[in-house]
Amino acid sequence: MNKKDHLNYKQAIEELEKIVKEIENGETDIDLLAEKVKRATFLSQFCKNKLRKTQEELEKFLDEIEKESGKQIEPPFDSDIDH
Amino acid sequence: MNQSFSSRYISLYDLCALIRVVIGDNFPEYLWIVAEIASIRENQNGHCYLELVDKSEERIVAQVRATIWAYNYRTLTQAFEKATGETLKKGMKILFNAQVQYHEVYGMSLNIKDIDPTFSTGEMARKKREVIERLLQEGLMESNKSLPLPPVPQRIAVISSPSAAGYGDFCAHLQENSYLYKFFLILFPALVQGEEAAASIVMALQHIKKQLHNFDVVVLIRGGGSQVDLYCFDDYTLSAEIARFPLPVITGIGHERDDTVVDMVAHTKKKTPTAVAEFIISGVRMFETRVEELQNTLARYAERLLESLQYEIQEKMITLSHTVKERISHSYAQYQLLVMRLCSVSRYSLNHHQNQFYLLIQKEITVYQKCLNEEVGKYSLLEQTIRHFDPIHLMKRGFSIARVNGIILTCVQQVENGQTIVTQVLDGYIHSKVEGRS
Repeated sequence: MNKKDHLNYKQAIEELEKIVKEIENGETDIDLLAEKVKRATFLSQFCKNKLRKTQEELEKFLDEIEKESGKQIEPPFDSDIDH
Repeated sequence: MNQSFSSRYISLYDLCALIRVVIGDNFPEYLWIVAEIASIRENQNGHCYLELVDKSEERIVAQVRATIWAYNYRTLTQAFEKATGETLKKGMKILFNAQVQYHEVYGMSLNIKDIDPTFSTGEMARKKREVIERLLQEGLMESNKSLPLPPVPQRIAVISSPSAAGYGDFCAHLQENSYLYKFFLILFPALVQGEEAAASIVMALQHIKKQLHNFDVVVLIRGGGSQVDLYCFDDYTLSAEIARFPLPVITGIGHERDDTVVDMVAHTKKKTPTAVAEFIISGVRMFETRVEELQNTLARYAERLLESLQYEIQEKMITLSHTVKERISHSYAQYQLLVMRLCSVSRYSLNHHQNQFYLLIQKEITVYQKCLNEEVGKYSLLEQTIRHFDPIHLMKRGFSIARVNGIILTCVQQVENGQTIVTQVLDGYIHSKVEGRS
């Protein structure tokens, strides 16, 4: 899912709003309806998954931060993140 | 010599003793004095030693040491903190009741008996007003507020003291949310109390600034408990730094009193660290609810759209079948009419043409017969001529055909003596030998 990499929450909800508005205003070609509904489902699923990221993604994030700031990260949040 | 000298000087002690008397005589009472605290420290016996200054345009124009003895100090500071919400600290202006004292060894000092906290409250309020006015003039009051809060502030840079209870509360509250949202918290440790707090927080902000892209918001929290010591949060440099910060800053400084300047310039201010966590979670929840709503709305619209489309198709089918039936019956009627017309026209036309045809045929036949008769006449004449020249016919009249070796004889040179000539007559052949030619 290549699109997922570039997508953020703001873009996701904006696109979702656009799709809903188009359908609401009857601007959507009936032939594209299935496509749009599919995309909307993907966007909403994307948001829901991102809100509950996996441990793996979390660790990737921490690694990045550590790389950039060298020493300065204190570990106390480790215990917070683990539970 | 001793005597002559002794009339010319007094000992240092005598001088100091004299000064002490003069001062004692001239400042017998306790006086109310205003001064700024340049430094303050408490020793292990509980006595408090201060350096007091008076400034004119940031230059020190007077400086005196002062003491608050331990038996006074505790009650004084408690009353002061209760009234101002602050501890006595460097940079603070105080109105105090003191007696000028002079000691031969320790020099002059002020012995503080009482402090009027209302003066400091007013003084701090004035300073705070000045900071606010300056921020207003520089257009910084609304700077951080004007930043859009990201829809999901999931990556959070936390500025706090690592050991603060408020920090623990904040982390626990965020990470144990009932919706199972994940938050990424990175602590940027700082002092959030005391003289060094403002500078320490500014430094933490600068650390965060180096990796802005990793974070959605900054949260500045202070452990609960103490209601005092918020002075640092009215600091100009810190407030300006927060105002100018490129990420939204949310404060949870944990106090019940009036807002500090930092609270005022921050994007969002909450009373406690837990309230900040609550605010963030509810923001994320709102986002998710919106996503769910949109999806439901979409599903509803799509369904409705399909339904109306189906209805439309049905309508069209009905209309179409009506139209088709009508067309067909109309066409059939037209067809029948046409067939009838065709039949009658054909019949008429056929009769007419039949007559014409007969006439034509008869005419043709007549012409043909005439031609035929002529031809027959010609033919019989020819036949007569042909018959006239038939060899049989000629033979009957006495002519015969002579051949030598099958070749018809027409001249004398064709034969030699002794050769047999075969002569054909009407009823057979005559063989004869040549005896001579002439």
